[in-house]
Amino acid sequence: MSSTATVGDLVSQPYKYGFVTDIETEKIAKGLDEDVVRLISAKKQEPAFLLDFRLRAYRQWLQMQEPDWAALGFPAINYQNIIYYAAPKQQEKKSSLDEVDPKLLETFEKLGIPISEQKRLSNVAVDAVFDSVSIATTYKEKLAEHGVIFCSISEAVKEHPELIERYLGTVVPSNDNFFAALNSAVFSDGSFVFIPRGVECPMELSTYFRINSGDTGQFERTLIVAEEGASVSYLEGCTAPMFDTNQLHAAVVELVVLDDASIKYSTVQNWYAGDENGVGGIYNFVTKRGQCRGDRSRISWTQVETGSAITWKYPSCVLQGADSVGEFYSVALTNNRQQADTGTKMVHVGPRTRSTIVSKGISAGHSANSYRGLVQVGPKAIGARNFSQCDSMLIGDHAAANTYPYIRCQQPEARIEHEASTSRISADQLFYLQSRGIGFEEAVSMMVSGFCRDVFNQLPMEFAAEADKLLALKLEGSVG
Amino acid sequence: MVAVSATEPRHPLPAAATAAPWIADLLADLPAAPSAAVARARELLAQQPLPSRRQEDWRFTDLAPLTTIAPRPLDPAEQASSAPAAPLGPVAEPGRLRLLLDGLRDPLDGLNLPPGLHRLEGEALQAALGRSLAAQGLEADWPVLLNTALAPRVLALRVSAAVAPLLELVNDVGTGQGVEALRLLLLLEDGASLEVLQVQRAAAASATSLLLEAELGRGARLRHGLLAQGHGAASLLAQLVVSQSPGSELDLVSALSGWGLVRLEPRVLQDEGQAATRLRGLQRVDGRQIADTHSQVAFAGPEGRLDQLHKVVADGAGRSVFNGAVRVPRAAQRTDAAQLSRSLLLSDRARIDTKPELEIVADDVKCAHGATVSRLQDDELFYLQSRGIAAAQAARLLLRGYCDEVLAELPGGAAGWQPLERLMGEDPTP
Amino acid sequence: MIRPDAPVLLEIRDLRASVDEQPILKGVNLMIRAGEIHAVMGRNGSGKSTLSKVLAGHPAYSVTGGSVLYRGEDLLALEPEQRARIGLFLGFQYPIEIPGVSNLEFLRVATNGRRLAQGQEELDTFAFEDLVRERLQVVQMDPAFLERSVNEGFSGGEKKRNEILQMALLEPLVAILDETDSGLDIDALRIVAGGVNHLAGPDNATLLITHYQRLLDVITPDFVHVMAAGRILRTGGKELALELEDRGYDWVDEELASLEAGEAARTPLEVA
Repeated sequence: MSSTATVGDLVSQPYKYGFVTDIETEKIAKGLDEDVVRLISAKKQEPAFLLDFRLRAYRQWLQMQEPDWAALGFPAINYQNIIYYAAPKQQEKKSSLDEVDPKLLETFEKLGIPISEQKRLSNVAVDAVFDSVSIATTYKEKLAEHGVIFCSISEAVKEHPELIERYLGTVVPSNDNFFAALNSAVFSDGSFVFIPRGVECPMELSTYFRINSGDTGQFERTLIVAEEGASVSYLEGCTAPMFDTNQLHAAVVELVVLDDASIKYSTVQNWYAGDENGVGGIYNFVTKRGQCRGDRSRISWTQVETGSAITWKYPSCVLQGADSVGEFYSVALTNNRQQADTGTKMVHVGPRTRSTIVSKGISAGHSANSYRGLVQVGPKAIGARNFSQCDSMLIGDHAAANTYPYIRCQQPEARIEHEASTSRISADQLFYLQSRGIGFEEAVSMMVSGFCRDVFNQLPMEFAAEADKLLALKLEGSVG
Repeated sequence: MVAVSATEPRHPLPAAATAAPWIADLLADLPAAPSAAVARARELLAQQPLPSRRQEDWRFTDLAPLTTIAPRPLDPAEQASSAPAAPLGPVAEPGRLRLLLDGLRDPLDGLNLPPGLHRLEGEALQAALGRSLAAQGLEADWPVLLNTALAPRVLALRVSAAVAPLLELVNDVGTGQGVEALRLLLLLEDGASLEVLQVQRAAAASATSLLLEAELGRGARLRHGLLAQGHGAASLLAQLVVSQSPGSELDLVSALSGWGLVRLEPRVLQDEGQAATRLRGLQRVDGRQIADTHSQVAFAGPEGRLDQLHKVVADGAGRSVFNGAVRVPRAAQRTDAAQLSRSLLLSDRARIDTKPELEIVADDVKCAHGATVSRLQDDELFYLQSRGIAAAQAARLLLRGYCDEVLAELPGGAAGWQPLERLMGEDPTP
Repeated sequence: MIRPDAPVLLEIRDLRASVDEQPILKGVNLMIRAGEIHAVMGRNGSGKSTLSKVLAGHPAYSVTGGSVLYRGEDLLALEPEQRARIGLFLGFQYPIEIPGVSNLEFLRVATNGRRLAQGQEELDTFAFEDLVRERLQVVQMDPAFLERSVNEGFSGGEKKRNEILQMALLEPLVAILDETDSGLDIDALRIVAGGVNHLAGPDNATLLITHYQRLLDVITPDFVHVMAAGRILRTGGKELALELEDRGYDWVDEELASLEAGEAARTPLEVA
């Protein structure tokens, strides 16, 4: 490593999750029409209300236009060229993990997510989703003892249809936006979490999403409900193999929080980002929204976004309950030709609602990294408070860092503060660290993780180190 | 899997648009176009609808109030007769060159210009007019077309050295009703300097389109204050379009109050960087007024500086919009830009929209930005009250201090116009 | 402490360096043995800070000629971090602030890098905490500074103490202290100087770069070198510093003028 190497040289490193698992997959034909929606619903043996929900969403989607306001450059998506359902051929979900195809267990192990009885993490329950279906959920029984439901959403549809009917689509209506409508029509699987009144979930819950097939879209749906006084910390992770075509990932996540309840939702997103010329990679168009319905309820979004060719997501909080709290902590690292347009919406409806936004964007290569946020304080949100901080770090002079923090306020008894800064790793800082014996790469990585520290501190402890390592990996050099 | 689709584009353009009836009426009432450029602008304008809130640039601002104004050119005779009999503002005094603008008469007629200030005409004028607009791609911008279509003349000045007196440009529409357009061009040569105080006033249902182009040569300095005191039925659309050469210094200070609708667009291009730009804005809305400042500062070269402060006071059912764009492309290394937006929301029927836009593609830059929205600070109020000052008076004092931070930056000589008193809605002393 | 038989730690021969193609060092010669304390004095712009940065490997300076041997090894071929790991230390005149990076973490990574290079094992967090608390005594520093970001928001004196703390942890063989006294009040100066004296021993050497006598009142140098126009003009004992204090730098100008007039033949003085 030479100190003449620029920092920019450091941020390219091969994607280590790019392998494909060779497993027989059941896929339906490409394309989308009403019959496909019916077919998906039938394959999942869904009750009538859900088929109706899907069909309604499909018809709404047909009337909608793909959004173009974010000025993201990508070729038009041909929605008839996507496979909307793919599942590894092991059919029925196995009652015991021992019966799961070892190839699948091996895949997740390779990804650092051991799920077999012997190796699984001791204090984290995992739902592993492979292409369109959930293949295993650990610790289900132990959680059930506390009344906590943690399973795939397909299972929940069968076993707790009343909960699904009551909450599905109530936070993100099926006609919310183009991609939410598409998801509502064709969603395949995802996780369902229900924490009953007064229960503090005894362990971390985690869903791990893996795209394996090259031509499938992934449309998972996550729904988390925390009843009065309940709390849960949930983490999702994502990877995909390297293909030189783009794949569409259009997920919907809905959170419902009642009085005095809280949900902490963390994401470590590392979908395949495409190569250095921008070929391939995931289009990550996601709708995530939580509703603080109850008084003194709380939603905290933490995200570490390092993957995908294009990321387009704004995890949001609708703060309805009095004294409810919304938080958004984000690190987005883009490199090569990646585009990330991410941020949050904090909609203050109820009195004395509070929100905090901390966003750290790191742009390298020819990438573009935008923070786009909305803080809206409605006329009834007396005493609402918001604090936002958006910092950008630029590495090299071809990367773009944009900040669009939009504020709308209609309540004089509110206080909104926003700060933004742009920085870089200066040659003097690097030299200072080097002159104390710290190597070039490590110095860069120390400074990047120092830049992100406010956000990493918010991650569940088990994953903070993971996230740090992930960034370090992304920064690790191909420089000799 | 995502192939470029061969299907129809998803967003067909709207069917051939036609002008809003208001524009059609206005155009019908104009004298024949004096030049091909004006004719072209009218033609383009006639083919366009009014900017709508579906356009990102006009998302927060509804131009409807404009269309309530009689769609005919303002009659200067009416203006003269309706303007207050008493002399406008402070009595003209030495050190101040006052030009009364009505858009029709030549304000330089029979005037001896002070050293350093020259009339710009002929080929030099033709070459310079529109150059700053073109540099920022604004030729076909709707407010520019409107101004070009309507403005009967251009007040164009060349500045060759440091001009001693304050140039005071006064346009008082009084109770005149109708639409007027003022177009100005300032060409500051290398090392030249000029202070301008531009006063816009209206007291009835009138609309004013103001378009100022300015070019600052190397080392040139321009300090421009816009003091716009309007009326609830009046509209003002103002564009201040400036190109800066290296070493130049620009100060744009604006104070907007009283207008039913006011839209101010300061647009600055540092064409090779290495210049200093200072923007100071204050806008107050009350009643059902709308005030909208859309600023943009672009750095096309390295080592440019920007220091921007924008302040808002929103009362009644007023709406305030601030959209502040800062563009730092790759060529603009070592840019140092700071933007601060501070808003006071004094009523629960008022609304504030603030939208900074920072776009940065250079790694060695300092770009800081801050925004706050709040009411007057309790602890400050309490501090004053604890010294025996009544709450209402304390609030007033704080508000005056808040506004004065910007007003104090208007060019010297502005004080005579009593900007603070008018802005605060206090009865100005006669 | 001068011992003619002590091993040579640093040998600088005819060192030339420039920044932005502007020559700054124009042939510096200097030899430092274990146990010695050297002081380089000179006016602003004489090249003394450049000398320290070139020795530490700052990328902005390019070496255009000459050589530097560190314990017989070619120092100039090494990256800055390698130089630090084998025992060269630069105390910065203006220590850099690094927001977000915790001081404790920074000190631990640096210390372990040095320990590995010396064939010692790395210290875990607990062992390191013990060590750092012990070394804090040397500079009488509040442990609260460990929890903050590197130098961020530190006062001038706190930054300099943090530099000496790093020196105490890294245990360098050659410590170059660039204007360590600048910006210090008398108490801070005493503490910093006390730290330097405490760390100086028979096996290591110190190179003080300074403007003023006042640092040399508290740290006694074995050799004083006067630098001007990119080279060492004269070398003497500690009395040379007093002479400078007394007579100012004007005589240096004269000497330099005569030197430049007669150029070619003369070679600058060397410390043997």
